[in-house]
Amino acid sequence: MELISAADAGAGAPEEGAPALELRGLAKAFGRVHALNHVDLAAYPGELHAIVGDNGAGKSTALKIMCGIYRSDAGELVVNGESVTLHSAADALGHGIAVVYQDLALVECLDVATNMALGNLPRRGWLLLDRRRMEREASRVFDDLKIRVASVKTEVGLLSGGERQIVAVARALRLDTGIMLLDEPTAALGVRETARVGGILQELRARGKAIICISHDLEFVFNYADRITVMRLGYSVGTRETAKTTRDEIVGMITGTIGRDGAA
Amino acid sequence: MSDAAIATKDDGRPDQEAERRRGSTLTTVLLRQETTLIFVIVVIGVLTTVRNSSFSSRANITAIASASVIYFVMACGASLITIGGGLDFSVGVVFTLGGLVCGWMLVHGVAWPLAVLIGVGVGALAGIVNNCVIVYLHVPPIIATLGTFFVGTGISTTITGGNDIVPLPSSFQKLGQGELVGVPYVVWYAIAVGAAFWFALEKTRFGINVRALGGNRQAAIGNGLRVGRLDFALYILGGGTAALAGVIYAAQVGSGQVEAGGPTTTLNVVTAVLIGGVSLFGGLGTITGVAVGAILLSEIDNALIVASIPPQYNTIIIGSILICAVAIDHVRRKRLYRQ
Repeated sequence: MELISAADAGAGAPEEGAPALELRGLAKAFGRVHALNHVDLAAYPGELHAIVGDNGAGKSTALKIMCGIYRSDAGELVVNGESVTLHSAADALGHGIAVVYQDLALVECLDVATNMALGNLPRRGWLLLDRRRMEREASRVFDDLKIRVASVKTEVGLLSGGERQIVAVARALRLDTGIMLLDEPTAALGVRETARVGGILQELRARGKAIICISHDLEFVFNYADRITVMRLGYSVGTRETAKTTRDEIVGMITGTIGRDGAA
Repeated sequence: MSDAAIATKDDGRPDQEAERRRGSTLTTVLLRQETTLIFVIVVIGVLTTVRNSSFSSRANITAIASASVIYFVMACGASLITIGGGLDFSVGVVFTLGGLVCGWMLVHGVAWPLAVLIGVGVGALAGIVNNCVIVYLHVPPIIATLGTFFVGTGISTTITGGNDIVPLPSSFQKLGQGELVGVPYVVWYAIAVGAAFWFALEKTRFGINVRALGGNRQAAIGNGLRVGRLDFALYILGGGTAALAGVIYAAQVGSGQVEAGGPTTTLNVVTAVLIGGVSLFGGLGTITGVAVGAILLSEIDNALIVASIPPQYNTIIIGSILICAVAIDHVRRKRLYRQ
């Protein structure tokens, strides 16, 4: 498993090169409800790209289109320069997109290693489960993240919220994709745990992965994201580099006191 | 199991937590269902032997083992369904149907291997019906299988006109009554079935997927498991083992009996599964636990007769043990998992 795919991709210069994942004028309606009207977004390799916005802004709908759960009505989803339509989560994975869901999708009664391999369990022969390889692969992911793991045989039910979040991120990482989507990774976490998850995401970004992260937590976003795309009422209001914006500007964009880029 | 799993390098706190959790290892072992059950089995054995020494005779222990075979074989499939988050209440009548169909084939001149296969096949078919009702009609498993239980009861009475199928060929009866190295054939069958199910549950990807399905269905779907196919396989296995137990029972008693199974059989199997430590909420459980649960049930049946205790106490005792077992399961989960 090759985890370091593009370690030398510069984290500081996201605008160079082609975006890993791009949304162009994405729209999606459920019956008469327009969840997404027009969403533009470009996430580059080696970038931690945050999507922020109020409830109902369309963040989750956009994420679900990016991970193959929904299909857009209009607009384009471009992955590594290729316009694609994703039909399932497996399809998304095939295009190099791994997802960490908000509810984490972990099974409490199974251990860490098994949870990380779920849906893709290694086998020996045509029947046997290769438990040793499963545990080795899991340990390798943690070692690689420089996270100490007492035992990957611990049941997930025994872990704290932060530990579970890390297991969910590690699972996505085991898939070794270039693009990682995270839905509210810090929603259930305390300050210390949030910092730990943020640190891991920075590490992954430094390795050239494109990380797209939906978050409500502006403090987390300002601490860790390279760029921030604000969504409001189904539109992408605009994208700002974290270093060149202020909290006030982002909040203004979220609440609508600052209008859409390029709109009248 | 008691180690804290993850800690960053310069971080002491999770290790303290590990210490705290390690203290409860002994409790965890004591709370293991098998440990408790074996203790109960021994206590009942000693008490009954004191009252009537013939209880621990070789012949009687063989009788208990043979009787537990029926519960256990049925419970193998049923426990897999329960671990997978489902429930099967139809086993009692699938058991009857398996014996009847196999018996009918035999008296109509079908060779026994084929008759056994068809009998088990009818059970698998019942499992498919259960699965279709659950999946396509969106009926919860407990209601769906209760429904097929009643329908099956009517069918078994109708096709036989209420008459048992006798006599079954002696070549077939031998299969249920012979012994190998002093151990009844039927016990060997149970060991074989149990070993196969233990292997499937503990050593294969199928087994892990079943636990994931029962442990957190949404997560199983989110991780791309084909839950529909898993459900399908589980109910086929449940129906198949129930019918297989019916076939074994027919060979044991030498007839296909209309009243072989019924509500009591269903409830006993569900009880054996739950007493054996399978969680009603899915995910947790072992085949060895279920085996011990089945043995405990037949031991109680037998002990009450041997100790000449009125039969009504049987249900009182089994009911109490069932409640205790499920209560312990709850405590176990609370101890093991954070909310």
